[in-house]
Amino acid sequence: MYKYIFRRIAMMIPVMIGVTFLVFFIINLTPGDAASMILGDGATEESIRALREEMGLNDPVIVQYGRYMTNLLKGDLGTSYSTGKTVVGEIGQRFPNTFKLTISAIIISIIISIPIGIISATKQYSIFDSVGMIFALVGVSMPSFWTGLILIIAFSLNFRWFPSGGMDGLKSLVLPAFTLAIASTASITRTTRSSMLEVVRQDYINTAKAKGVSKNIVIRKHALKNALIPAITVIGLEFGILLGGAVLTETVFSWPGIGRLMVESIQRKDTPMVLGCIIVFALSFSIVNLIIDILYAYIDPRIRANYR
Amino acid sequence: MNDYLLDIENLQVQYVTDDGTVSAVNGIDIKLQKGKTLGLVGETGAGKTTTAMSILRLVPHPPGKIIGGTIRLDDTDIFNISEKEMERMRGNIVSMIFQDPMTALNPVITVGDQIAEAIMIHQKLNQEKANKKAEEMLELVGIPGNRRNDYPHQFSGGMKQRVIIAIALSCSPKLLIADEPTTALDVTIQAQVLELMKELKTKYEMSMILITHDLGVVAEVCDDVAIMYAGRIVEKGSLQDIFLTTKHPYTEGLFNSIPNIDNRKAELKPIKGLMSDPYNLPTGCSFADRCDYVMPICREKSPQKIFFSENHYTECHLYATDIDFKLGRHQE
Amino acid sequence: MLDKSKKRSQSADVWRRLRKSKAAIAGLILIAIFILVALFAPLLADYNEQAIKINVKERFQPPSQDHLFGTDEFGRDIFARIVYGTRISLFVGVISVSIALSIGGFLGAIAGYYGGRLDNAIMRVLDVLLAIPTILLAITIVAALGASIVNLMIAVGISNIPGFARVVRASVLSVKDQEFIEAAKAIGAKDHTIILKHVLPNSMAPIIVFSTLKVATAIMATSSLSFIGLGIKPPTPEWGGMLAGGRNYIRDHMYIVMYPGMAIVLAVLSLNLIGDGLRDALDPKLK
Repeated sequence: MYKYIFRRIAMMIPVMIGVTFLVFFIINLTPGDAASMILGDGATEESIRALREEMGLNDPVIVQYGRYMTNLLKGDLGTSYSTGKTVVGEIGQRFPNTFKLTISAIIISIIISIPIGIISATKQYSIFDSVGMIFALVGVSMPSFWTGLILIIAFSLNFRWFPSGGMDGLKSLVLPAFTLAIASTASITRTTRSSMLEVVRQDYINTAKAKGVSKNIVIRKHALKNALIPAITVIGLEFGILLGGAVLTETVFSWPGIGRLMVESIQRKDTPMVLGCIIVFALSFSIVNLIIDILYAYIDPRIRANYR
Repeated sequence: MNDYLLDIENLQVQYVTDDGTVSAVNGIDIKLQKGKTLGLVGETGAGKTTTAMSILRLVPHPPGKIIGGTIRLDDTDIFNISEKEMERMRGNIVSMIFQDPMTALNPVITVGDQIAEAIMIHQKLNQEKANKKAEEMLELVGIPGNRRNDYPHQFSGGMKQRVIIAIALSCSPKLLIADEPTTALDVTIQAQVLELMKELKTKYEMSMILITHDLGVVAEVCDDVAIMYAGRIVEKGSLQDIFLTTKHPYTEGLFNSIPNIDNRKAELKPIKGLMSDPYNLPTGCSFADRCDYVMPICREKSPQKIFFSENHYTECHLYATDIDFKLGRHQE
Repeated sequence: MLDKSKKRSQSADVWRRLRKSKAAIAGLILIAIFILVALFAPLLADYNEQAIKINVKERFQPPSQDHLFGTDEFGRDIFARIVYGTRISLFVGVISVSIALSIGGFLGAIAGYYGGRLDNAIMRVLDVLLAIPTILLAITIVAALGASIVNLMIAVGISNIPGFARVVRASVLSVKDQEFIEAAKAIGAKDHTIILKHVLPNSMAPIIVFSTLKVATAIMATSSLSFIGLGIKPPTPEWGGMLAGGRNYIRDHMYIVMYPGMAIVLAVLSLNLIGDGLRDALDPKLK
């Protein structure tokens, strides 16, 4: 098992290097010159040239990338063009907020979706199943930024139960977390249901029933563990979508996380900050996938066996 | 109290799907005495597995539905008991071995736990004692007991089938239903598994229903044989009856489809055509379109049972007028 | 000859099953309406006069006979803007999926067909792309290239390449070793002939389903990017952009965000319904 985890981490390293390279390269396509942007409109051509030289912007991209990576390994992601603060400091301050938001959302999704998915599958074609599946389908079709606005209209402006934005205690977390959770709840429900339906058709379910195992235990013990394997994959993928969704949800609810930081930085053409945000997003996503793969191995002995 | 462990009367099962209704089992009768083995023979789609699943009351519903008949198992009318009571019979009174050992074991549970589960349910043993018993069962089917903690993917096909047999026999059931237990296995392994089943059957004094399309296997293991076609039992009798005084043209067709080792020059004579569309069974005899002996009446009326002895009957119009009619096979 | 008639009856079969699904039919009708609206937009509203012209006197008109869905903060007719927004959403959705399908499909097909080192190299590169959540990748690309309709399609297209590559690869792998491919190889058919004539047509089913569902997510991505100001720039009417503009006025004029949002939901929902229906119709055993 440790060998498996170790290998999985080792596999992550080249991917993360690839990510930094790719993103660094893309961001460098940005038109406009960083030096003139930092110095503002009044700057002389002389001073811009000097700053370009000082920042190494005249070097080939690959050299700049090398420098960036060297600094990155030292824990330095550069300095914001617009605020002058360090990127690491700013992201470090905002990351816990995004973490709080996405973790609450994924927990809400899992708590709601797995039981509904199971019940829907065991009562296929029932009213519960049909209604549940209609909700799930509408759920995956709703853009989070719109859902957010609707929830604000309903629960903040109308009922005044929750604040419409900002971060101030648990109450302010409710709307953004649910907004973010809706789409993934819907999609995990659908996956759980369909993988459950797939699993209950398997021969080993008949074997279990033929042994005299009661219906409930067949579902809980024999079917669920197998059905969770695809469900966990989707939870991992959904986490990626959640991170993307965080950008929108944070914008709607003025939530001070790295999603909103990234959007603001893009608007200010604050390249180091944008780069830092993307790398942190990608790293979080990779870590989530690592956890998912470990869970996999924990549930499925066939995967475990490959790494013994 | 009667002498039969299993008594099926006029069983009818349908599958209702979007595309229509399939009559999988159309009124069959099976009586099985304690300690005897019945071979249930027929091609794919004849209703053999559905019959077996009906005995366990595990016909998937929807789309499957038992629409008529009774099944008495160990003096219990199983269509008249609660699900809880039925659960107490499954694995305890009647067990089933499924066709494909590669898929019949739960991939995420150790084989030991899968065997112990039935023991814990029916014999109310604690985990530790059940584990011990599971180990004994593994040894019994020829697998070292210390492999109890292994997962199914660590076993070969033949070994898996042994594990499945161990599960089925763990509570010494009175009836074992084996659905093509050797079809998915290599020929050499087939023989071993069959041998093991025969041996254990005698040891536990079980009755057995062996579902197969392999007449060789039937000759090896069975006392009685029932030939199924399109949801009906078209001929039933003792092994000798079926093999030596074949009555139904379909049974004859099955025999003619097997290569004859003693007479290599003999031509194979496969049954022509395909089984009739199960969504739309013809009136009269379902086999009429494929039958070499077909008569006008075959397409009008369903044939009735005609008995040649107390135990041997067929459903064929050929014998309605002439009970001594001889099929071609025996005239050559 | 035989092959053709078999294929026809197969697609007839799929259509017959698809027709039985009420959900899929609802989806088809909905998307047909959207397509008609996009095609005949000029018959429904005047682009210059109603959709983009600022008309201060007409600001914040609630829905009425004159303005079916009301007017926005610049006095523009929301119905007219939704109508023209349909064109953009469908267009960007279909084009970006086409980009992703052609590049991702090509990569997936050769990776799956040739396997080995080529497969490995392609998949490792795609792993890098997959490590960045799709929408974030699209945001990064638009941020670098600048916000425009073309860049938006490129960004959404590229960010979907890995998904398509994976689906096509998987389905090529599942057909590749089947006997008719062996047979084609045995009679000396060239690789590209085999891929184009035998492998791809037989691995179409999952690709069609995936594409349908991806047009839905592409429409969603387009409006998401516009919502955060990285997609279609105002005054060009785009559903997500309309929400961005209207969100400051929801306290008193909630209809401003109501209708454009519903347009997104219905468009995405219709494609999801069709995608689901197609999947069930193409793979009846799962039903």
